[in-house]
This record gives sequence, structure tokens and C-alpha cells, in this order.
Amino acid sequence: MVELAQYLASGLVVGAIYGLIAIGFTAVYNATGIVNFAQGDFSMLGALMTIALLAAGVPLLLAIGLAVLAVGLLGSVIERVALRPVGADVLRGIIITIGVGVSLQGVAVIVWGTDAQPLRAFSGERPIGLAGVTIPPQALWVVGTAAVLMCALYFFLTRTYFGKAFRACALNPFAASLMGIPTARMRLASFFLSGLIGAVAGIIIAPIALMQYDSGIFLGIKGFVACIIGGFGNPIGAALGGLLLGLLEALATGYLSSGYKNAIAFVVLLVFLFVRPGGIFGELEALKR
Amino acid sequence: MIRVGVLALVLAAVWLSGSVYLMNLAVVTALFALPALGLSLLMGYTGQISLGHAALVGLGAYGTAILAQQFGWSPWLTMPVAIAAVMMVAWLIGWLVFRLRGHYLAMATLAFGIIAHVGFVELRDLTGGQDGLSGIPPLAVLGVELITDRAILPVAWIVCVGALVLAENLVRSPAGLAMRTVAESEAVAGSIGIAPDALKRRIMALSGGYAALGGALYAHYLGYISPSPFDVGFSLKLLLMVALGGFAGIWSVLFGVGFVVLTGEALKPFGHYDVVIYGALLVIVMVWCPRGLLAGLELAFQALRRRLRPAAGGAA
Repeated sequence: MVELAQYLASGLVVGAIYGLIAIGFTAVYNATGIVNFAQGDFSMLGALMTIALLAAGVPLLLAIGLAVLAVGLLGSVIERVALRPVGADVLRGIIITIGVGVSLQGVAVIVWGTDAQPLRAFSGERPIGLAGVTIPPQALWVVGTAAVLMCALYFFLTRTYFGKAFRACALNPFAASLMGIPTARMRLASFFLSGLIGAVAGIIIAPIALMQYDSGIFLGIKGFVACIIGGFGNPIGAALGGLLLGLLEALATGYLSSGYKNAIAFVVLLVFLFVRPGGIFGELEALKR
Repeated sequence: MIRVGVLALVLAAVWLSGSVYLMNLAVVTALFALPALGLSLLMGYTGQISLGHAALVGLGAYGTAILAQQFGWSPWLTMPVAIAAVMMVAWLIGWLVFRLRGHYLAMATLAFGIIAHVGFVELRDLTGGQDGLSGIPPLAVLGVELITDRAILPVAWIVCVGALVLAENLVRSPAGLAMRTVAESEAVAGSIGIAPDALKRRIMALSGGYAALGGALYAHYLGYISPSPFDVGFSLKLLLMVALGGFAGIWSVLFGVGFVVLTGEALKPFGHYDVVIYGALLVIVMVWCPRGLLAGLELAFQALRRRLRPAAGGAA
């Protein structure tokens, strides 16, 4: 029983990590209809920048702020320079975000090398024990940040004027521009937002999951799977999809074998793609069809 | 025909130069060109993205290597068997993934590529895990084993040119027109009696065959394979080659492959910079020359000439 509880606990932590990444995907998708394949690399970059700034003697909070802002700006630069000229061409958009991701990894290798970089946990390393289940204190940060970010983004997208304009751009850019919504600026803002969220996610999870130049790929893929499970249109759904994926992986690792952990994610991905491509909570996708 | 002649002349010059380095580059180009051609048929002509083609190359390589080692068959027998098996696998994957489009298709094929790579690493009894398989028997023609670059070069390029001509014939045939129709609009394709999904599956199988052929030749040429060359990075490299060639254009794919192989060589002394260049190239080509690097340069050249001409006229 304790064993199961431990699996569930670690599954929830890992799931919150996937959820954090997934929230970043939804920020871009809800304004542009683009899936940003470089999303995981934003997180990698945010974490590595923070570590570098810390090493340079910058205090933690300032380092986090600077890194998050830098990645956010990078996101909007990418939108302006690489994605805007392509317009609504999905295939080219995919390949461009992949190219951006590859370039970012290459830059990370040149700057930081191939070794994994550690980041000090925010509130100590001493594990918290409860009824035989132990979790690192950083896990609370991860879960808390995921909860706050998903609620904030959900509130922003559904309750604020700006957020509704965001979604209008994704649903029908032409109609949105007829209504006086500056679609180009909205796209720029959405990439800025996804850069911010991606960087925050990367920094928060860095103390648990060591970050190196290629960490972004797997984070990105798992985040995408989480979005497929929960639905791209909805940050809360995406975060819950992350939790579900984390739990499934932890149980599979615990009771089957760790080698097949990654296979589980992709089996889940394929099942959802074929059975329910809109995800459990995918409202936007249903509207688009 | 002229292009085949020019290609033959260049290759003959490389072969006669006796330079091991040049011959090695030529062989590598031929081995990359096969999967890139397959990807071009699928992406460029049929409009379906695949981010998992490296896995098909790997399946071809592992398939023929395992058959040759476990059963001691001749490579001339194991290669066709492995390629046929990979074509069936590719058809089945197509059956699974081609109900998806756009981002979903991209991610599903990427997932397949990663699953296959995990398989190469984890199925240690069969694949040797990270250590890979060594001692794969080489191909032999008339009792001569094709081990050196000098010996394998003609064989690899005869196969490659054969594949090129086959692909060229295919895209000019009615089937090629059907492929382009599916890429443009599946609804239109369906309305004029083309079954889009069946066609996509068949092209996927053919594309997998091309990839497996490249992989199988690679395995018998090197005599050693490990999982790392067949990772997602290689899938993306194939994507870059096809993108540089402008996706749809059998001969321009060859240009893309040659370009990537040569840039890779030129950047070797600089260590990891090649990855940055590849990524940046992918973005630049997609943004500014979606019809390929050559077409993009030609357009830029024409625009430059148009800009210069009125100025020259005004001066006169």
C-alpha cells in the first residue's frame, strides 16, 4: 500500500512537470493555432540561463526574473522573424519551430556544454515524509506553480477581454481582424507569454530534473502528449492531462519496467490521437471542426 | 539523361582520383540520398510530414544485420527480406497515423521514431543495446567483398541512380499526379476517384522501402551498427535535406543531400556548431525559399537583376 502511495506521489510530481510544459503549449495554441515544437527548449533555456546567472553571483529571484524575461522576448522575436512570414501554412510552421528548437539546442551545447547542470532547490533538499511516502520539497513548488499558472491562464483566456481576443485570433484570424483585434500583435504577445511560461516551468523543475542541452526534446514531447490527453484548447485540461500521464508512467515504471516508461507515453498518445483527438476537455478543437 | 551522365562523370572522377576521403563522401551521399528520396516522395509529393524516417532506416539496417548474423544468410538474401519487412511495417504505420493531419501527424511520426529508437536500445538480446551489432558480413560481388569505399561506391550509386529513376518515373506517372492531388486537397482527390488514405499508405510503404534500402546498405558497408545514428536528430537531418531540395523535386533532393554532407564536413573542425547551422538553415529555407535553396537563390538573383536593369536603363 505504501508502495502504491509512493508511486502515486512521484507520479503526481512528474505529472505536474508535464502539466507545466503543457500549459505553455496552450498559450501559443490558443492565439495562433500553432503547436510550438520548441516549447521544451524554451524551458531548457530558461533553466540554464538561471543557473548561469546564479553562478555569476546574481541573486536567485533576480536571476529567475531576467531569465524568464529573456526567454519571453526570444519567443516574440521568433514569432516576428520566423513564423509571421509563413502565415497559416501548418507544415512550414511545424518545420520552422523544429528548426528553432534544434538551433536553441545547438546554442545551449556551445554555451553550456553537454553536461547536466544542477540548480539548488528553492527550499532545501531534506525530503518531506508523510505516512511512509517521501517527496522532495521542490515537488511542492512544482505542483503549486502548475496549479497557479493553469488557473491564471484559464482565467485570462476565458474571463478577460484580452484573453477572449486571443482565442478569437486562433478560431478565425480574419474575422478577429474585422472586429478590430490586432491579430499580429496578439500572436506576438502569445509567443511572449509562452516563452515566459516555458521558462518558469523549466526553472521550477530544474532542481528535480537535471537540465542539459537536450532536455527540452523530451519535456516538449511529454508536454505535447499531456496536451493531447487534456485538450489543446484548455490550460486546465492540459495540466490535468500532464498529471494523468505522470501517474500512468509512474505506475508503469513501478509495476512493469522502467525501460518501457517512454513507450507508455507514446501508447497513450496514439490511443488518444485515434480515439479522442480533441482531448478530454478539448472545446476549441471541437469548435474548429 | 544528361543529368545521369554528368553525375556519372563526377563519380567517375571521384573514383579515379583514388582519394579515400572523396570516395567516402560520395558513398555517404548515396546512402543518405536513398532515405531522403523516400521522404521527398512522402512529404514533397504526397504532402504528409514524417519525423520518424530515421527509425525506418534503422529498422532496415537492424533487420538485415540480424538476419545475416542469426541465420548466416547471404546479404543479397537478407537485404530484400529486411526491406520487404520494413515496407510492411511502414504500411501498417501509415494505416495507423494517416487518419491524422498537421501537428498530430508530425507528433505521431515523431513518437514512432522515438519508440523505435528506444527499442533499438532496450531489446539487448536482439540488437546488442547501446553497444550495437558488429561483424555484419559485407556484400560480395563475384567473390569480391565490398569493404573498401572504392568497391562499394559503384554499387551504392548504381542502386541510388536506380532509385532516382524509379522515383522520377513514379512522379511523372498517373500515380504521381494522384499524389500531388492528395497533397493539394484530399477532398478534390476523393471526388475524382482517388482514395487518399490508400495512396498515402502505399507511398509510405515505398518511402519505407527507400529508407530501409539505405539503412541495409549502410549496415553491410560499415559492418557495425549502433542505435545512435538512427535517432530523432537523423530524422531531422533528412527533413533538412528534403527541405533544402525544395521538397518536391527528385534531383534537387540529391542537391540537398550533397549540401548537407558537404556542410557537415566543412563544419567538422568547429565541433557542435553544425547543429546550430542546421537548425538555422531549416528556418531560413522554410521562411524565404519554400521551394528549396536553389529555387530561392534563383528568385533572389532574378529580383536583383530586375532591380539593376531599370537603373542601367536610366543611366543610358
